[in-house]
Amino acid sequence: MINIIIMKLLTISKWEFRKTQLNFSLRTRLLSVIILILIGAASFFVSQSGLHINDNIYRVIVTDPALLPILNTDDKFDVYVAKESDARYMFNQGNFDVLIIGTKIIHSDSQKSISALDALDKAIKKYDEARLLSYNDLNDTFPVWLNVKNIAREQAFQPVSIQKLPEFEKAREDTANAPTPAIENAVSENTQLPSIKEFTDIKTSSPLQEQTLATPSHFNPPIPFKSVVLSFIFIFPIYFIAQFFSSSIMEERVKRKGELLLVSPLSSSQIVLGKLLPYLLITLVTVAGMTFKLGGSPWIILILLPVSLMFLSTAFFGAIIARSFKELSFVLIFLSVFLSGYIFFPAMFANIHAISIISPITLVVKMLENEPVSISEYLFSTAPFYLVSTLVFMFGIFIYREEDLFTQKSIRGKLMDSLREFIARVPAPLFFLSIALLPLAFSIQLMLIVLMFNVPLRIGILVFIILAALIEEVVKSVGIYTVFSKKTAKVTTASALKSGILSGAGFFVGEKVLLLVVVASIAGSVFGSVMGIGLLVFPLLLHISSTTAASLSMRYLGTKNYLASLVLASVIHASYNLYLVRGVVFD
Amino acid sequence: MTNTLVIAKKEMNSLLKERTLILAIIVQLLIASFSSLLVIGLASFFDPSALSNYDEKVANVGIIGDGELRNFIEKSQVNVYYYQDLASALSDFDNNKIDGVVVIPREDASGTELIRIDIYLPKSDIRGTFVTLQLKKPLEDYENYVRDIRSKRIGFEPVRLYVDSVPKKTSTYFEFIYGILIPLLVFTPVFISGGLIIDMFTEEFERKTMELLLVSPASFSEIVNGKMLTAVLIVPMQAFLWLLLVSFNGVAVDNIAIILLLASIIAVIVVVLGAIIAVKYKKRLISQYLYSLILILMFLAGYLFADSPFNLVTRLSAGALGTEALASFAAYAAFSIPLYVYLRRVKIT
Repeated sequence: MINIIIMKLLTISKWEFRKTQLNFSLRTRLLSVIILILIGAASFFVSQSGLHINDNIYRVIVTDPALLPILNTDDKFDVYVAKESDARYMFNQGNFDVLIIGTKIIHSDSQKSISALDALDKAIKKYDEARLLSYNDLNDTFPVWLNVKNIAREQAFQPVSIQKLPEFEKAREDTANAPTPAIENAVSENTQLPSIKEFTDIKTSSPLQEQTLATPSHFNPPIPFKSVVLSFIFIFPIYFIAQFFSSSIMEERVKRKGELLLVSPLSSSQIVLGKLLPYLLITLVTVAGMTFKLGGSPWIILILLPVSLMFLSTAFFGAIIARSFKELSFVLIFLSVFLSGYIFFPAMFANIHAISIISPITLVVKMLENEPVSISEYLFSTAPFYLVSTLVFMFGIFIYREEDLFTQKSIRGKLMDSLREFIARVPAPLFFLSIALLPLAFSIQLMLIVLMFNVPLRIGILVFIILAALIEEVVKSVGIYTVFSKKTAKVTTASALKSGILSGAGFFVGEKVLLLVVVASIAGSVFGSVMGIGLLVFPLLLHISSTTAASLSMRYLGTKNYLASLVLASVIHASYNLYLVRGVVFD
Repeated sequence: MTNTLVIAKKEMNSLLKERTLILAIIVQLLIASFSSLLVIGLASFFDPSALSNYDEKVANVGIIGDGELRNFIEKSQVNVYYYQDLASALSDFDNNKIDGVVVIPREDASGTELIRIDIYLPKSDIRGTFVTLQLKKPLEDYENYVRDIRSKRIGFEPVRLYVDSVPKKTSTYFEFIYGILIPLLVFTPVFISGGLIIDMFTEEFERKTMELLLVSPASFSEIVNGKMLTAVLIVPMQAFLWLLLVSFNGVAVDNIAIILLLASIIAVIVVVLGAIIAVKYKKRLISQYLYSLILILMFLAGYLFADSPFNLVTRLSAGALGTEALASFAAYAAFSIPLYVYLRRVKIT
């Protein structure tokens, strides 16, 4: 029996593969190879000659012609030479940012002029260094060298300058008491000797190399180039393949070719899985190829598997809900931007802050640096991806049927259809719907945390608390809304109470289970505490009461006023959380 | 001509009805806020003076040895702890009492050997960043001090310029806003329109509605022109919106009209290119794929040379360039002509 299903599944995969392949004629392949070569050449030139984006942005006027060749070493400057009186006149006309009379710099108070001063400083430093280098006498030109040794030690997990919460002090002490690794092993013995070559190496070193030897002026904190570059290298092909997947699904919808498959004895989940398989395989092969090229461990493929699933699932869902090609394009761009942000931002803090393991790319960075990645880290960063992509596939498969695929239903209508299907198919639907949507809420909240790190802390926490409450209340009440908005069901106070309790309790149970597995490592931060770690009874009561409030308000105000019900529930929810972290926000 | 306008109006209505335009604007808002988060966030993160807005947190640094560097570090804002040997310093380091260790060598400026300083920092820790940022200044001062003494021996004279009042200066923020953010905001609508024109055409081909359109009074070239007109027109509209938004945020943008003109010219090139691909390949899958590849190429090429569209927008918006930019515009406008001629010769069989 299972064999037959697998056979059928593979047949669909084969069709799908052949269909996509047919699109690529010999000429198309040739053309893409040519464009790829051109892209390679362009990126080579960019890496050689640098970005020319700020060329001639600053206008400088000098009286000493000797300064001209010095300033011309930096493309940012547009330099003019004039006599002092003319130069002063021209500068006063306001068309220049900096005036240099002899060796004296005159500037204005404008932002541009002040930036120009900074750029001037950097340019001269660079010019001097180049000249010093030509003496070929390191001891007299670059006399000071730093040998930087990075040592791993236990770090207290805590965002910059956040005050500690008294209630959670204990949990953190536990982590601080954990045994620390022996330093001797961690220090890499680096007895590199500086030479001219070393110096040129610093300047031209690729972002993928860690800097251990530097002169003071080249001594800089780790800049997250590596994660940025890696995110692009890995995410781009995944994104491309996901685009093919969605195009193929959409094409079937538009040309109504999918109808034949729907009447076949195969279930919609089998059809979707069959279609997914070739794209997933191609993605994994591509990822494996790149991993091999970068010399990484094969485990990297396992880290990127959930990322690929995530892109493919959203591409699939986008292709199901969109009404036209245009809509599909924008839904997909929107989802990809959101996803890339989620993957990209935390990864920038790789080597800076432990929050970065939210993003699987951080784990890839670690693996490429031959650092160990623990199973709990893997779970922490990939669980949201596995859960959300499964959920997205599930909801997509629910509406993989005639009436949703081949009609012009609105996106909202299709989303409601998926929810309705879920409610119809699952026992105790409201309870489990809260649980099922939880990873989605969790992912959005984690994304919010990352964004909030960039605004002033107090405001960040405040905004986060309110938005987090809103997201959770949407997740808990959307099922109730779906049930109540269906005219056939009779809504009573009792059923409203029951729905609120079920939904709230479901969310609570899901949250606690999920937190046990994945959030343990950010328990110390204030953001973690808002996400629900703490006493158990109060959160349960909170989730139930806020959702019941929403449910009752829908009962009396009707589902048309869903927004009002949501606001009510969110206010209750947010005020509880604000009370919890009052020590941080108000004092 | 009237047929062209009818088609353009039809496309515009469908954009508004499907709310695709609104979604497009939200997408751009996301991209813009992501990229400003990226750079402004990082710039303030790596700029020690920006960090001082937070609690005055100073780095605790352990020092071993008493060479000349010691004075420089003592004069800086870091908290200094003194140790006799590396082992005791590293044990305090490991217990989070200090966040960095500097081993100062005996060799001094009057000597002839290299001065090699060992620095121990916590790996993958934000405090390592703190220590790096706070030690950089004293270390650089020390380097200049030693270099001043030693480079005289080989007769090196550094370039010296003087400035009366030294304001707190940084160019990162300015160069990001004008060099990256504004060009990105101006050209994202262009790239979006290129994708849009492909969707407009391939959808008609795949739904087979193009055949219906062709039996209408509108000729094929009128249909093409109408669709392209819509795709091009929405570019300056969106770009204007972004420039307005940026201005509201207190960033002065010069030459807005000239920038919008450039955006429209580039939009014509990109949209005609998109139309060529779509009419030639007819399938969304393949057309969007090729367009994305070409887009990457154009994006990279935009960074390659001065007077590229990116660079022109940067200089125009920062006021470093005025109407004299129109000369380069003519070159770009001329570039669109052969493309358009080619498009008209592509057969729709």
